[in-house]
Amino acid sequence: MRRLVTLLFALLCLSATAAMAQIEVRAPGQQSIAVANTELLPLSGLPLPAVARELREVVSHDLDMSGLFRQLDPASFLDDARRPGLTSTQVDFNQWSLLGTEILIKGGYRMQGGRLLVEFRLYDVVHRRLLTGRSYSGTQEDVRTMAHKFVDQILKSVTGKEGPFSSRIAYIDNRTGHKELYLMDSDGANSLRLTDHRSIVLNPDFSPNGREVTFTSYRPGNPDLYRKDLGTGQEARLSSQKGLNISARYRPDGREIALTQSGSGNPELMLLGTDGSKRRRLTNHWGIDVDPSWSPAGDRIVFVSDRQGNPHLFVMDLLSGQTRRISGNGKYYATPAWSPEGDRIAFTRQEGSVFDIYTIKPDGTDERRLTFGPGNKEHPRWSPDARFLVYSSDQHGGRGIYIMRADGTGIQRISSSGGQSQHPAWSRQR
Amino acid sequence: MKRGGIRISMQVLLMVVFAAMLAVGCAKKPAATTAAGEDQAGAMQTAQGVEEMGAGETGVGESMIGDESAMSTPQAVSSLERIYFNYDRYDLSPEAQAILVNNANYLKTNSDLKVRIEGYCDERGSDEYNLALGERRALATQKYLESMGIAADRLSVISYGEEMPLDPAQTEAAFAMNRRAEFKVMP
Repeated sequence: MRRLVTLLFALLCLSATAAMAQIEVRAPGQQSIAVANTELLPLSGLPLPAVARELREVVSHDLDMSGLFRQLDPASFLDDARRPGLTSTQVDFNQWSLLGTEILIKGGYRMQGGRLLVEFRLYDVVHRRLLTGRSYSGTQEDVRTMAHKFVDQILKSVTGKEGPFSSRIAYIDNRTGHKELYLMDSDGANSLRLTDHRSIVLNPDFSPNGREVTFTSYRPGNPDLYRKDLGTGQEARLSSQKGLNISARYRPDGREIALTQSGSGNPELMLLGTDGSKRRRLTNHWGIDVDPSWSPAGDRIVFVSDRQGNPHLFVMDLLSGQTRRISGNGKYYATPAWSPEGDRIAFTRQEGSVFDIYTIKPDGTDERRLTFGPGNKEHPRWSPDARFLVYSSDQHGGRGIYIMRADGTGIQRISSSGGQSQHPAWSRQR
Repeated sequence: MKRGGIRISMQVLLMVVFAAMLAVGCAKKPAATTAAGEDQAGAMQTAQGVEEMGAGETGVGESMIGDESAMSTPQAVSSLERIYFNYDRYDLSPEAQAILVNNANYLKTNSDLKVRIEGYCDERGSDEYNLALGERRALATQKYLESMGIAADRLSVISYGEEMPLDPAQTEAAFAMNRRAEFKVMP
């Protein structure tokens, strides 16, 4: 763990140097940057206290989740927090320096022709300058998204890498009595049911452009692969081979889909075009081959196979076809997910009777355990910036969706109660 | 009534097996030994898996000879009974084979029936791996029935993995109930 922290520290320092040499960024979880997150003020017209409060709360939640910031107590803010001046000449930086503030979030809002306009600014208090500013326009339902988008920009300003908070998470939930596909914000808000198959829907994956989701459904009487267009809501059946059509994953360039089919009589990894056309067979082995996940370059796949007895992790080079086991001496490995940064693979491993989440380097070295304690933690998937993992857990009774930082800290349940939730997938774009 | 009886005897059997496993587990305390034991178990399972999928099937052949006489005095079976599997296994136990003999006889008597074999798993393990395992259980069952003379076009398979447990409890007894193959008469 220590080494991961150091590594992240080094990486973050590097990117921070590029973006902004002034603010020193330490490891996530160390809460190092002192940030003042003020409530946005009305730029004209009536105050909208509920809007202002929600914007501040969402920003505050995301800043906490990032683990990079220490948020100052709003009760300590002086009168500049209540002054609408938004340019760097209008902000009273002395007040914020007094409080030890390193960065300051200020902004305002107004209604214009039924639309809500929101302006966010991020200031470097030490150097008294604007770091970034964004304005958003939308309806009052878009308030949370505006706040998430701005925190994504704050992370970009501070570390050089955009945050993931405005992206969304697809998952499976059974609250209707059937397992259906749902979509929610990265903090669990605005959950929305996407399918009405009244059967069993499983294992979604986003296309890299975020506009489509694939999933497996038993509605036709067989576990077939579907693709849903999130814009139009249209569904198409992509793969309906006899037997299994499961665990489909888009290649990172969006041009192909790897999945497990058992039409040949044995579960094998196959490559399909995005229209469902067969491209080629990836495995040819009597063992069970499931759960493919692509390297970011799309040249390798990590997957689960029982070809050496128990379910283990294997990495296949697609050009050479060379396959090698990367998992160690555990007896049951499952659901590998290759980080979008390429350097680690998250997976679950059963010890005793419980599954926990680990990461390992793609060469099979440096395995690290991220989760502990009772309950199964399953199906880890990375956030698009590789800062976080989303997964399902029954650690508090009833299966829910959780997120945590990539070092295992900051664990937080995001799905609501009322159903069993599982199989999360994090979109790469909003 | 009959099903209840089977359930109880299954549970008794399981308790005995579980107790035996516990005793073995206690005997092998050192971690290194346990790990080696598991690896070996894995390798043995692999070997068995290969045979299972192969054409030879010595185990199946053996029980068929035993069933020649059983077939001359067919047992009265009023329905197709489900069979159970061991953890992370898809080979057919002697008990499962005995039930399949009865099921095959039932299918011979009711020669117009088409049957879908549904493979299921307990909730432990990954969902996708269990979908594959459930399919293997259904396929092993199908193959056995075919070897008993049931026409292939009367049998189809589907795997539900761990999706539809008979007993949602997280106990060894519930897990054992859920590792099964069921038979659904198709219209």
